[in-house]
Amino acid sequence: MTALLATDNLGMRFGGVRAVDGVSLAVAEGELRCLIGPNGAGKSTFFKCLTGQYKPTSGRILWRGRDVTGYDSFAVARLGVGIKTQIPSLFDGLDVMESVVLAVRRLHSEADSRRRALTALERLGIAALARREVGLLGHGQRQLVELAMVVAPEPDLIILDEPTAGMSAEETSRTAALIRELNRRHAIVVVEHDMQFIRAIARTVTVFHQGRVLIEDSVERVLADPRVRDVYLGKPVTRAERAAS
Amino acid sequence: MTDRRLWTEIAAAVVLAALCAWGLPLALQLYALINATIYVSMAVLALSLALVWGFGGILCFGQAAFFGLGGYAYAVAALNFTGTSWAVPVALLVPAALAAILGYLMFFGRISDVYIGVITLTVTLILFNFANSTAGDEWHIGAAPLGGFNGIPSTPPLNMPGDPGTPLAPQQIFVVAVACLALCYVICKLVLHSKFGRVVVAVKENETRAELLGYDARLYKLGIFTLGGAMGGLAGLLFANCVFVSPTMFSLFYSGQIIIWVMVGGLGTLIGPIVGAIVLQILTTWAGTLRDINPSLILGVILMAAVLVIPRGILPTATTALARLRRHGAVR
Repeated sequence: MTALLATDNLGMRFGGVRAVDGVSLAVAEGELRCLIGPNGAGKSTFFKCLTGQYKPTSGRILWRGRDVTGYDSFAVARLGVGIKTQIPSLFDGLDVMESVVLAVRRLHSEADSRRRALTALERLGIAALARREVGLLGHGQRQLVELAMVVAPEPDLIILDEPTAGMSAEETSRTAALIRELNRRHAIVVVEHDMQFIRAIARTVTVFHQGRVLIEDSVERVLADPRVRDVYLGKPVTRAERAAS
Repeated sequence: MTDRRLWTEIAAAVVLAALCAWGLPLALQLYALINATIYVSMAVLALSLALVWGFGGILCFGQAAFFGLGGYAYAVAALNFTGTSWAVPVALLVPAALAAILGYLMFFGRISDVYIGVITLTVTLILFNFANSTAGDEWHIGAAPLGGFNGIPSTPPLNMPGDPGTPLAPQQIFVVAVACLALCYVICKLVLHSKFGRVVVAVKENETRAELLGYDARLYKLGIFTLGGAMGGLAGLLFANCVFVSPTMFSLFYSGQIIIWVMVGGLGTLIGPIVGAIVLQILTTWAGTLRDINPSLILGVILMAAVLVIPRGILPTATTALARLRRHGAVR
C-alpha cells in the first residue's frame, strides 16, 4: 500500500554540515509516528524539509506516491497537511475566532468556515476564548489556539514540532490525551524529545541521531534499546551499530 | 468587523464626502478651493500607503513613484488622445503595471522588508532623475513633450464625460477629487472586509503562519501592492489637474512626506492618514507664509512632537481618549 507520506534518502546540508543525511521513512494513513532524538539530531531540520520551510539538498519527499520535493510551505499545506511549529506561530493582532476562521476560509464559505472554526475551538475546549486577542493569551492557550488552527481544516496528516515545549506536567498530560484523540481522525507525526510524553502517546518511534535514522521500532523496544539510552546520554554510536540498525 | 458596522462607516464617509463636495465650493474662494483639491489628492496618496503599509505590512518608500507616474501617464495620454476619457484609465493602469512588475520581482524574489524600502525608494529616485533629464525637443511621447525639469505645464484638465471640448471648472474638479477620495476609502474598506483583505492582514501579522495554512503570501502582497500603485496613480491624476506634472512628483520630499502623513495620522487606520495628510498640508501651506522662520523647521518640530506625544498617531490616540471619556462618563 502506498504510504501517506514518505521520504526517500532525504538529505539537507548546510555547507559542510549534513543536518539530515539520507533519511528514508514512511508514514501510513491513520498512523501516529514519533520522531525523537537528542538536541542536534536533525529532527527540526527534517521537520522543516517536510513542511517546505527548507528545500532538501538530496533525496525525495513523496505524498501518496507523488513527488512533492521542494514544494513551498503553502503548497505542502494545500496537500492536506496541518503544521504546528515548536514556538506557536499565530496572528497576534487578530482574535482567536478570526484566526481559526482563516485556517479554513481557503476551502469553505464564510458561514461554513465559522461553523467549522467553532467546532474546532469546542473540540480543544477553548470556545470561551473565541473573542480574545491572540497576542494577549498565555503560552498554554496559544498552543491550543495553534492546534485549533491546524485541526480545523481536517487535514489528512498533522505534523507537530515539539507540541509540549514550555508546557507544565499537567498541560503535557492533557496534550498527550488530545493527540491520541486527534489520531482517531488524522495521521500524526510528532517531533519530540520528551521521553515521558513519547511513552504516553507513541506506538511507532523513529530515533534520529546525527542526521540519520538510528532505529525505528515500537515504543517499548525503542525505549529498551541501549543505543537509544546511549545517544541521549552522549555515548557515541559505532559504525557497526549504525550499520546493524 | 460586522457587516452592519462596515456599512455604517461607509455610509458616514459617503455622507461626509457629499457634504464637503457640496459645501466647500460655496464656502471657499477659488485659490483656497484649488489648494483644497491638492490636499484631497494628497489624502488619496496617503490612503494608498495606509493600505499598503498599514494593512499589507509593506513599507514602501516609493509611493511617490506611482503618484508621479500617474500624473505623467495622465498628461501624456490627455495630450495624445482627444479628451481625457482614455487618460483616466491610463493614469491608473501605468502605475498599477509598474507596481505589479516591481512587486513580482520583490515578493517572488523573497526580498526582505528592509530591501523593499530601499528598492522602492531607488526606483522613485531613478524616475526623478530620468524625468529631470528629459529637457529638449527630442524627449516627447507622441504630441506630449516631457519637458525635463519644467515638466508638462500644458497638462489639460479633465473634461466633461463625452464632451472633450468642455473642460471641468476648478469647482467641478474639487467635487471629482472628493468623490475619488470617498470611492478609494469605500474600496479599501470593502477589500479589507473581503477574504482577500483578511488574508492580507493575516500575512502582515505572520507570513509564515499564513503560508502554513496554505495561502501563497506572495500573491496577496502583490495584489495589495498593485492596488496601492493604482491608487497612487489616481492621486497623481488629481494633482495634475490642480497643478501640473513635473519631476518634483517623484522627489524624495514627497516620498518622505507620505510616510510622515501615515505615521502622524495613525498607521493601521484608513481615516488617520487622510486626516494626517490634510492637517499637515494645511500646516505646510501656513508655514510657507511665514517670513522669519524656515517652514521645514516648524514641520520638523511638529513631527518630532507628534512622534513623542502621540506615537500611535492622531486617530488611534483620539479614539482611545474618547473611549476613556465615555467610560469615565458612564462610571460617574
